[in-house]
Amino acid sequence: MLDTVKKLCALSGVSGWEDEVRDYILERALPFADETATDPMGNIYIFKKGAVSPDRPLMVCAHMDEVGVIVTGIDEDGCLRFDFCGGVDRRVVLGKRVFIGAQAVPGVIGIKPIHLTDPGERAAVPKLDALRVDIGAEDAADARKRVRPGDRGVFDNTIYEFGDGFLKAKALDDRVGCAAMLKLLEGELPADTWFVFTVQEEVGCRGAAVAASRVRPGFALVLEGTTAADVGGVEKGMEVCFLGRGVVIPFMDKGTIYDHAVYERFTALAEAGGVPWQTKGRIAGGTDASAIQRRDAGAAVLTVSAPLRNIHSPASVGKIGDIELMPVFAGMVLEEAARGY
Amino acid sequence: MEMREMIAALASQRAPAGFERGAHQTAAELLRPFVDDLETDVLGNLIGKRRCGVEGAPVVMLDAHLDEVGLIVTGYEGAFLRFDSIGGVDERILPAAEVVLLAPEGPIRGVIDALPPHVVPESEREKPVPMEKLFIDAGFSDGEQAAERVPRGTPAVYATPCFAMGEHLLAGKSLDDRSCAAILIAAMQKLHGKTLAADVAVHLAAQEEVGGRGALTGAWGVDPDYALAVDVTFGTAPGTPADRSCRLGGGTAIGLGPAAARTVSDKLIAVAEKRGIPYQLEVMGGRSGTDADEIQTTRGGVATGLVSLPLRYMHTPTEIIDLRDAEAAAELIAAWIESFGEED
Repeated sequence: MLDTVKKLCALSGVSGWEDEVRDYILERALPFADETATDPMGNIYIFKKGAVSPDRPLMVCAHMDEVGVIVTGIDEDGCLRFDFCGGVDRRVVLGKRVFIGAQAVPGVIGIKPIHLTDPGERAAVPKLDALRVDIGAEDAADARKRVRPGDRGVFDNTIYEFGDGFLKAKALDDRVGCAAMLKLLEGELPADTWFVFTVQEEVGCRGAAVAASRVRPGFALVLEGTTAADVGGVEKGMEVCFLGRGVVIPFMDKGTIYDHAVYERFTALAEAGGVPWQTKGRIAGGTDASAIQRRDAGAAVLTVSAPLRNIHSPASVGKIGDIELMPVFAGMVLEEAARGY
Repeated sequence: MEMREMIAALASQRAPAGFERGAHQTAAELLRPFVDDLETDVLGNLIGKRRCGVEGAPVVMLDAHLDEVGLIVTGYEGAFLRFDSIGGVDERILPAAEVVLLAPEGPIRGVIDALPPHVVPESEREKPVPMEKLFIDAGFSDGEQAAERVPRGTPAVYATPCFAMGEHLLAGKSLDDRSCAAILIAAMQKLHGKTLAADVAVHLAAQEEVGGRGALTGAWGVDPDYALAVDVTFGTAPGTPADRSCRLGGGTAIGLGPAAARTVSDKLIAVAEKRGIPYQLEVMGGRSGTDADEIQTTRGGVATGLVSLPLRYMHTPTEIIDLRDAEAAAELIAAWIESFGEED
């Protein structure tokens, strides 16, 4: 599981350019699939038979895409204008490395040296239109040999374990969910299940909407990475959830009010099964559940997440114990859902 | 060793101001073949001397600093580490930065946590997070563990490796000023086996990033007649005005201004012209912000010059230099040393 997470995080998959992640997942999932499909969006569908066949199948989903940058233009001096794909606070990209395009051309998002800035400048965050990705090109013509507008860029992809069982990588949101699904696929299933690896979650759950129309699930389990905000300097009570305290099951987030009976049923399941779990202390974040819940005839949805620090930044951090709980509890959720929902 | 490999080897060392000894071994190994002896002084300057054997020959000091900007742990907030900066660090680059803590047990990885956009109001995102509200997260479970493994006073540096960009550029942390330390070693390599008319002291300085403190004792000890401070200068980049910076790939920069003796600047220009070495001029009104400021006024005064390497995004984890400029600088410095004893 941990090894799969690391492998997945090393791949590039900024929204709309999920190809590397899709190729890897397909290769890993095919031996366990009874049926596979794709769609024009680029979602992958892996069907696996289970002990029972409900009228409307179960669906598990995680998104393949990650936040990053997209090149919007090339200046005369060869530096790249860019925008973000997904929600990125531009304060986390200053002074950082990015890798642009299919060739992973290294670039940096630099700022003016501190020696040349005045206090007023240091009190402001540079506007996006003042930031550039510098790939060290001689000029625009040289830059065009290596990149072109529309190219996506990913954050620095160093991956390592550190401290007391923590993992640092980019794109933990939502490769932890993808890895949990690959793990689930390897085992026996309690009911027929569609495993859907979605695209474009970070830009508005666009892949999941289409997937819900195709699968028409009765019950969908969304596996995610969610923002913890349990870091230093956060006032007590302002945290969303905590690393090391188990899986996160929200009753509500910014995108979804979960059916309260569903919430109570599955949190009771965690409780009874001795699975460490927590809910969100603040209404924050959103997942593919928002699209699936209200698509077409609608579906019952549940989100189970691993708590992560610094998501949507180059330095996202998870606790390995929480991440490894994901497929364990997801398996229990499927068992329970197979009894009817 | 090639310039590229030498810069990468030096920039990979972790040695913020006050903790330069972390870079001494690598620097000493690279410099040793080209000098007669190596010593360190009480501040942590590493000095390699090559003697020409001529009685009464002038002493020339070549200075580049070995220290880099960094952070230092000042306390704890739960399991997280409070810190301050060592040298000039723009706090705006810190959220989500990766660092290496130089802990008693050895290097420890850490990240500087940033609140995710999901919980930060739009209006807050326009304001930089002040350093006192930023914390290093080294993956500790509680404050006790943090304090035991990372005591107060533990320094940290950026984690960025040295990496190539295209054919000519190198990027990463601490290219300020390890790339110039490499330039000095490369210059000594060029002079290896040649007869010189000056004694040369390569002075790899401590504590430049906190204000030329190493150069004070280092220059006193070397007691030079001439000196060159070799440091980085602002490279032209988005956000850095072209009239206050030098172009990457435009050659090494020769400094003009009160911090540089006119005789030395003129000689450097003449040498560059004669040898066809690409150079550009950098004019500084007052202090240079390099060790030249301290060296120039050491003892009875030192005829000091400035040779600089254009560098983009100074003091960030992603500085960029052009290897062609570094080669030009090494060539110029070697040629200038050779010019001692030559007829004008």
